[in-house]
Amino acid sequence: MAEPTMPAIELNLLTKRFGDTTAVDALSFAVHKGTIFGFLGPNGSGKSTCIRMLCGLLEPTSGSATVNGFDIVRESESVKRSIGYMNQSFSLYRDLTVDENLSFFGGIYGLRGEQLQRRKADVVELVGIGRYLTRQSGKLSGGWRQRLALAVALLHEPEVVFLDEPTAGIDPVARRDLWDLLFSLAGAGKTLFVTTHYMDEAERCNEIAYIYLAKLMVRGTPQELKRLPELSPPGTRRVSVACVKPAMALGVLKSLPFVQDATLVEAEIHLLVEATSKDQDVVDALEIAGLRAEGIREIEPSLEDVFVTVTRNLEKGAKR
Amino acid sequence: MTRIFAAMFGFRSIVYKEFLHIQRDPTTLIFALMTPMVQLMLFGYAINFDVRHISTVVVDMDKSRESREYVQKLQNTEYLTVTHYVATPTEAQKMLSRGDARVAIVIPPDFSMLYGTSTRPTVHVMVDGSDSQVATPARAAFQSAPSAAGGVNAGQGVDARITVLFNPQMRTQVYTIPGLVGVILQLITVSLTAFSLVRERENGSLEQLMVSPVGKLGLILGKLLPYSLLATFEFVTVLTIGHFLFNVPIHGSVVLLFVLSVPFIVAALSMGLVISTFAQNQAQALQMTMLTVMPSILLSGYIAPRDTLPGFLLVISDLLPVTFYMQIIRGIIVRGAGFTDLLAPISSLIVISFVLLAAATIRFRKSVE
Repeated sequence: MAEPTMPAIELNLLTKRFGDTTAVDALSFAVHKGTIFGFLGPNGSGKSTCIRMLCGLLEPTSGSATVNGFDIVRESESVKRSIGYMNQSFSLYRDLTVDENLSFFGGIYGLRGEQLQRRKADVVELVGIGRYLTRQSGKLSGGWRQRLALAVALLHEPEVVFLDEPTAGIDPVARRDLWDLLFSLAGAGKTLFVTTHYMDEAERCNEIAYIYLAKLMVRGTPQELKRLPELSPPGTRRVSVACVKPAMALGVLKSLPFVQDATLVEAEIHLLVEATSKDQDVVDALEIAGLRAEGIREIEPSLEDVFVTVTRNLEKGAKR
Repeated sequence: MTRIFAAMFGFRSIVYKEFLHIQRDPTTLIFALMTPMVQLMLFGYAINFDVRHISTVVVDMDKSRESREYVQKLQNTEYLTVTHYVATPTEAQKMLSRGDARVAIVIPPDFSMLYGTSTRPTVHVMVDGSDSQVATPARAAFQSAPSAAGGVNAGQGVDARITVLFNPQMRTQVYTIPGLVGVILQLITVSLTAFSLVRERENGSLEQLMVSPVGKLGLILGKLLPYSLLATFEFVTVLTIGHFLFNVPIHGSVVLLFVLSVPFIVAALSMGLVISTFAQNQAQALQMTMLTVMPSILLSGYIAPRDTLPGFLLVISDLLPVTFYMQIIRGIIVRGAGFTDLLAPISSLIVISFVLLAAATIRFRKSVE
């Protein structure tokens, strides 16, 4: 059990308005040291605005926040020195080599001489980019570019690293490798604040905050979120159906009166059904349509179910 | 037939899509349509080689009715306008090297006595030869061509001895090359810096810089220093080529010229930086840069003398740093003018460069936040 320490990031009713629109609405939560914190939400929900405030790029309209104990408004320079930042689009200099990019960014963080060489060697070894040092960064593949970006973000040994969709648009192998890196960083005590749209990445986070329309919807570990009561309304259960021609079967099952929700996941159909219904009802319905069920099993809700349910509930509430 | 049809397939949709693009980017459209109009205005008004009303200083040592009449007759040719009266020829010559007047007329004390007699009075005329488009009409005023007003010949009965100062052979290069140094220097500095910030914004590296502890002043000056070194190199090169290849003599102090090029380069760099903060993409930065080039060539006095510009273009001309740099560089190189001779253009240039630098700093701060 870790001793109780100051959180790495703490938001207190953090709010940003642009004219009439509220981009970030009274967000309050804390991120503990050495964790991977998943910051999720649809595009335009206010994630980037929030990160920009936490990095000291934007001043909040009201509320406050601290990063590494520094106030993001009054001590934004100290905040900048203590954080790393990695953008979703590759934002280093494409016409500079890997080594030149590292030297330049090390320099603007005040690293000089032997110290700079040591830090460069450390991050090069960490991300394993040693054999590409003399290559122009624009000529690297997407995965290597993101590794370079991560190396740059870690040069000045920041305690907190913000990663805004770090794996957007890179191939699955590179994605896996990057996450392995993130785990080892968290293991070494770094705090990682990550945004992503990938559910498998969200599963890997220690803790998740889901925001929608500028507001914090839910927050907790992946396990806690899946056990939220609104995911399993009383009198319902979740099952997964394996069958031939699942895409056709989906249409059939969606029309059944006791099916509240149906979606295709990895060639199986996930259903939210009324608890009173029997598995045999599903098998029968498929048989009438000329389809054969190969197996039915009870399942837990997934993180995707969490976000879809939370979002739809809010939309229904708004319509009413 | 079917092959032609296949080759044209999708034509209508492409046309439709292109119109949508044009509609979505009004800035580019406005620039594309406005530029020819601006060019027409500039070329139409600014290139006027019909130089009239050349500023003239008179040394009247006779102070008689005849001498006053003679000056009046000269003015009636409309080539000359008397702007100053001074007591001695030395003072008049000083005014020429300062650029305050282009023509000096020295009327001798025996003018009225000899006027109308068979021994015609001798009048000494000094003409600034640093701009041949001014020198030629200035000389015409003293020829015996009939003047527009009253048909009286100004030159009749007077022996005008004309001396062309500063560029006696009236070689064109002697005054075009120094001007060209200014134009080239501005073109290169503006175009180098106009892209500096747009490029960073376009590829996202500006954001990466802004999350770092880099200071705004460090960023702006760090960006400007390499380009000012390039500009200085360019300045020395063009000047050397002009001097040795085109045989342009440098009459004044090279050190003074070098020192006075600093505020000019600062002004041009700031101009580029201001463009860089306004442009949304690199294409717009290029368009805006081109928009500064045309007036800098046409309104600065480089091609045609500023005296011919109509009022509103003169205002634009007064806002361009290259206008005053042109006066300084021609003054030093062609007329051998010193610091005190050039106080007026120097102070204007310094004021403009400060204003531009302030504008650049303010715009820059705003656009990185």
